[in-house]
Amino acid sequence: MNAKVTDRLATLCFILCAAITAGTLFSLLGYIVFQGVSHIDWHFLTADASTFQAGGGIKNQLWNSFYMLLMTMFFSVPLGIAGGIYLAEYARPNKITAFLRSCVEVLASLPSIIVGMFGMLLFVNTFHWGYSVLSGALALTIFNLPVIIRVTEDALAAVARDQKEASFALGATHWQTIRTVLLPAAFPGLLTGIILSVGRVFGESAALLFTAGLSTPNLNFGDWNPMSPQSPINPFRSAETLSVHIWAVNTNGIIPDAKIVAAGSSAVLVIVVLLFNIIARLVGALIEKRWSGK
Amino acid sequence: MYVLTLEKEKRIVQPNPEAMETELKVNNLNVFYGSNHAVKNVSMEIKKHAITALIGPSGCGKSTFLRSINRMNDLIPGAVCKGEILYEGINLLDASVDVVSLRKEIGMLFQKPNPFPKSIFDNVTHGLKCAGIRKKDVLENAVEESLKLAGLWDETKDRLKHSALSLSGGQQQRLCLARALAMKPKVLLLDEPTSALDPVSTAKIEELLMSLKKRITIVIVTHNMQQAARIADQTAFFYEGTLVEFGNTRDLFENPTHTRTKSYISGQFG
Repeated sequence: MNAKVTDRLATLCFILCAAITAGTLFSLLGYIVFQGVSHIDWHFLTADASTFQAGGGIKNQLWNSFYMLLMTMFFSVPLGIAGGIYLAEYARPNKITAFLRSCVEVLASLPSIIVGMFGMLLFVNTFHWGYSVLSGALALTIFNLPVIIRVTEDALAAVARDQKEASFALGATHWQTIRTVLLPAAFPGLLTGIILSVGRVFGESAALLFTAGLSTPNLNFGDWNPMSPQSPINPFRSAETLSVHIWAVNTNGIIPDAKIVAAGSSAVLVIVVLLFNIIARLVGALIEKRWSGK
Repeated sequence: MYVLTLEKEKRIVQPNPEAMETELKVNNLNVFYGSNHAVKNVSMEIKKHAITALIGPSGCGKSTFLRSINRMNDLIPGAVCKGEILYEGINLLDASVDVVSLRKEIGMLFQKPNPFPKSIFDNVTHGLKCAGIRKKDVLENAVEESLKLAGLWDETKDRLKHSALSLSGGQQQRLCLARALAMKPKVLLLDEPTSALDPVSTAKIEELLMSLKKRITIVIVTHNMQQAARIADQTAFFYEGTLVEFGNTRDLFENPTHTRTKSYISGQFG
């Protein structure tokens, strides 16, 4: 075989692999959306879930997913960015830093069901918070934190060294340089990474089974007192999210239209995650474009 | 020909650099990057309000020498500087020196233009804002003054809010110069500032440096020996970390005492 033939074969092989990946993704997305999208209507999105009759909706589950997401991001974004800044800018290259970095990596690769178990033992049992939004959000924070740390560290490391030197040479302190040069330059990458992690958090179910629970109290959307048990924003009530709902109706649902509800919920979930991804790309591109002065 | 003779005349009128006041006195400077001994026992006197050029082949330690003056080597893990760099009676290498205030007085311009991805205005005011200056009129005046000094005012006065990255390479480097000048530095360190620029932009920068030296001490690392010959009052030749020869530019280029200097400036290696 001569070099030209080998080269063609290699090219063909890579095109084939890429095609398989793209094909799998499109057929999966297509299947889920196609199966579920016909069940999505205003009633499905805004009605309470039913326990045994057909025709239930996903209002509370959808709300829970967004509320849990918001609380998770509230905890994990500041903490993760601070950790990433530390690793990228302050940590000296020594054994302790290397150990810290591998801790973050292990945390990132931890199966989410283990994170859920840990959350149950700590937040649910030890702290007596029960199955609650707070326990779920903290479990998701553990799940999401290493991602944000990595994204921050990588985004900061990707800022050219000459930018940093330029700022230092003008008599800026380390913190001034981080705040006014490094973070703004890292912002597009940071934002894209965070929005992508939002999709991951939004779709997570295993970590929530034992921390946020499989049920939701009858929420009263007119009651915004965070201490009231029926309030949508009470952090100490149990909260079944959309992805947990899909799992629940499929495994132990007794509603006759479980398949339909599951398919509809899956489609909603996939569409929302897809939207997050598209928004991440658009926002990243927009900022890039604005800052490069074109 | 007329221009050439004029330039020669100008040179003759210039005072003898050796009679000038000293701004930076370097005594036995040694710089190590881990086990790599990058600068070996260098001593020299950098004259006030003059241009000192540092020449030599790649890796000869001239940039390392330059970066030790404003303590930029502090940013490199494992870099160690030993010896003395005396500036206004203070050893700049002393651990107690506040590097932030030091870098306000000793500015730097880098090889590649490195404006921040912000507006032209924000680039010039970066150092001032970090120094705590917030008054709008003070900042505006500083921007105008610095851009004028850097010969960029006419080209940018109508688009100060535009991104600095929309400027050409030569304009970007002059913006970086303006940014450094806004701090009113007493010393300006330049690390091959024109090596990424075209000849026209290079000539502009050189012209600016010639006019700036009236008020600022300039130390410039350059690969371009014609550049050193054109603008420098004194020239230092580095080779493998040591200072081989240092003296008035004219003497160094016309009558080098060391054979290494001679072969370098005649282009036999580099």
